[in-house]
Amino acid sequence: MRPSPTRRLAGLGAFVLAVIMLTAIVELFPNTVVGAAIGGALATAGSILGIMDSAYAASALRLSVPIAFAALGGIFAERSGVINIGLEGLLILSAFTGVAVAHWLTGDGTTAVGPGIVLLLVIAVLLAVAGALLGLLGDTTGEIAVRAGGGVLATAALAGLTVALAGPTLAATWLAFYTAVLVSTAFALLFAVVTIEYRADQVIAGLAVWLIALGVAPFASNVIWGAVNSPGVDTLGTWTVPGLSELPVLGTVLFNAGPVVYFLLLATPLSWYVLAHTSFGYWVRASGENPKALDTAGVDVRRVRYAAVLLSGVFSGIGGAGLSLGRVGSFVGSGTTMIDGRGWIGITAMLFGNYNPFGAFGASLLFAALDALQFRLQQLNYAVPDSLMQTVPYVTVIIVLALVGRTRTPDAAGEHYESDED
Amino acid sequence: MNPDRLPGPIAGLMGRLVDASAGERLAVSVAALLTAILIGGVVTLVAGVFATCSDPILGPFCYNPLAVYRYLFLAPLSDPFVLQETLKNSALLLFTGLAVAVSFRAGLFNIGTQGQLVLGALAAALVAVRVGPAAPDGAVGGVLIAGVAMLAGAVVGGLYAAIPGALKAYADANEVITTIMLNFIASDVAFFLVSAYFQKPGSGSVETRDVPAAATFGPGLALAMAVLLVLAVTYLLWGTAFGYDLRTAGIQPDAADYAGVDAKRMMVTSMTLSGAIGGLGGAVWVLMSVGRWVNGVPALGFDGITVSVLASNNPLGVLFAGPLFGSMQAGSLSIDFQLGVPRQLVGVIRGLVILLVAMPELFRTLGVRWGMGGVR
Repeated sequence: MRPSPTRRLAGLGAFVLAVIMLTAIVELFPNTVVGAAIGGALATAGSILGIMDSAYAASALRLSVPIAFAALGGIFAERSGVINIGLEGLLILSAFTGVAVAHWLTGDGTTAVGPGIVLLLVIAVLLAVAGALLGLLGDTTGEIAVRAGGGVLATAALAGLTVALAGPTLAATWLAFYTAVLVSTAFALLFAVVTIEYRADQVIAGLAVWLIALGVAPFASNVIWGAVNSPGVDTLGTWTVPGLSELPVLGTVLFNAGPVVYFLLLATPLSWYVLAHTSFGYWVRASGENPKALDTAGVDVRRVRYAAVLLSGVFSGIGGAGLSLGRVGSFVGSGTTMIDGRGWIGITAMLFGNYNPFGAFGASLLFAALDALQFRLQQLNYAVPDSLMQTVPYVTVIIVLALVGRTRTPDAAGEHYESDED
Repeated sequence: MNPDRLPGPIAGLMGRLVDASAGERLAVSVAALLTAILIGGVVTLVAGVFATCSDPILGPFCYNPLAVYRYLFLAPLSDPFVLQETLKNSALLLFTGLAVAVSFRAGLFNIGTQGQLVLGALAAALVAVRVGPAAPDGAVGGVLIAGVAMLAGAVVGGLYAAIPGALKAYADANEVITTIMLNFIASDVAFFLVSAYFQKPGSGSVETRDVPAAATFGPGLALAMAVLLVLAVTYLLWGTAFGYDLRTAGIQPDAADYAGVDAKRMMVTSMTLSGAIGGLGGAVWVLMSVGRWVNGVPALGFDGITVSVLASNNPLGVLFAGPLFGSMQAGSLSIDFQLGVPRQLVGVIRGLVILLVAMPELFRTLGVRWGMGGVR
């Protein structure tokens, strides 16, 4: 049963409700700038609307990066029949790895690009070997060699190109970013092996990935820096499109943004295109809906599912490292880490967007807009308890889930598929 | 002994103990735990390469995994302080492990034990502080205050868990996500309430006033209560019609529906029961461990997931898995202080255990390969 349009509309209404909630919280504590004024409610609502300028939109777009990438990754995995609720864990691991490698390469005032390239290639080779051993890269030795070698060479070319184009510090930061994406992919591979090869319960295994990440990241932070939070590192900076960035509103929002924001704006339509209009996308959908038929048609369901789960690892890697290296410039490992539930919010965005990349992106943007609003209100120095405002996005997730209800999950999602052939 | 002659619940118990699949689950749990410990040891050894230390154990290795595990499992035997901490942690993990087990048995993933515990603990602390002056002096007053506080903890924890239960039952909202969101909300709301209304005067950290000393108790009593609760819940689940309905609803929702069980109401009820046990754990944390509610509640709810998963969601198994992790959590402070190994290592092992228990197929394959028919 697909959720009816009315329920989706109601879900959208939840976001309006959330904004009203924020206003109400601000209103409950009137000893503030606006509080003394008559008609405080109107004034607060007015000032909240006043916040929503182009800088606000840009910040919402930036904040949507980890949420939307997790959602896109979740779409591929779940549509192929593997429910990956370990996305939060993958975001945590990549956010940490990015900062750890960036700090290693640029830490003590000097910048070393060489070790970064070596590390990146070592991980790429390990992934290629793992893929070959699992029989994911092809049937003949030649096929395997070409694909494994091609993957490693592509990684090397990307690293070389980066070093040639960017200055040493920026290049090192990018190498750290690539490494984080590969590490997230490696963990996704582990999750895939556990669920596809060893038929682990997908929900429990996903929870395990999250809890492992929740332990590993602060543990490793402590080992390296003696604290759960990292020192600051350089970020990936912003890409300004000459000319276009001068445009009013759109210029600030779309053409003067972090690189990862552009990646997101590219990845969303690309994911939609791949899922809807390529044979790989067709296989992914068939593998989740009717694996038997796909198997009969001669496509290896196992390989399709591996590919989809690995893609969720790549996307989560971009999202996690995009947060730590793209925006914040450090890793925060205290409490629930800097990811703070964004992977779970991403899963909700995926459900709300009905497994459609555009829908998921839109939903992520709504959640991120709420987050941005909450940050803005804190900055405006209302004497509002931050801790209470922080709950608003989480409460909205619950309301949206309740209104959207059970989405139509792929028929074979969560089920192990055993080919009859072997 | 012929199980047929025994009274109902005990016969059921015997039946399960001799059940071959129960033996297999035990083998998987033990194998998973040992493998997690092995991997944890390798992680420790490798992490030592990246740490800075004055006297490495060998070459580049800073951390000695054997020393780490000696502290994690054997320190309680030699160090009275660690023993005390172990007993406390064990009691608390019996509560949270049991709470998770009840929900998993009912087919619901209650990941929100942490939030239910945080709010249950806060309710218990506030009630104890509030009724303290009104209670009579001496032991009677202490028992009274502790009783009311634990009741408050259970009620608040239960109500807080009823929310995701009702959302799941009547709105089809995925309980994994709602309970995790409610964890975030619980810690934010508790922080807000204490800092805004119940702050202990003159204190630098966010905490409530101290509960009356007469109401506090030691780990011995807490352990006794926890074990009694485990036994009571075991009886409830396997010895009563309600328990049968709860478990059937978890394994075969359609069959339960057919048998006339109101599946939706059962979801709310079992979540409430699970949350009440978690909230009770929070109350015990306040009355036994800290004597007040203080910000930064330990992740007992998440450890409870591991304890329950390791115990195959079997309350009696929780009796073993709880103290095991209780010892590890207590020892984690020692490895931090004595060896300089970050205590978050236990968090890594926690996740590894869940991952490995989730893949029994791995151990079956290994068991067959190594010719151990017993595992199959």
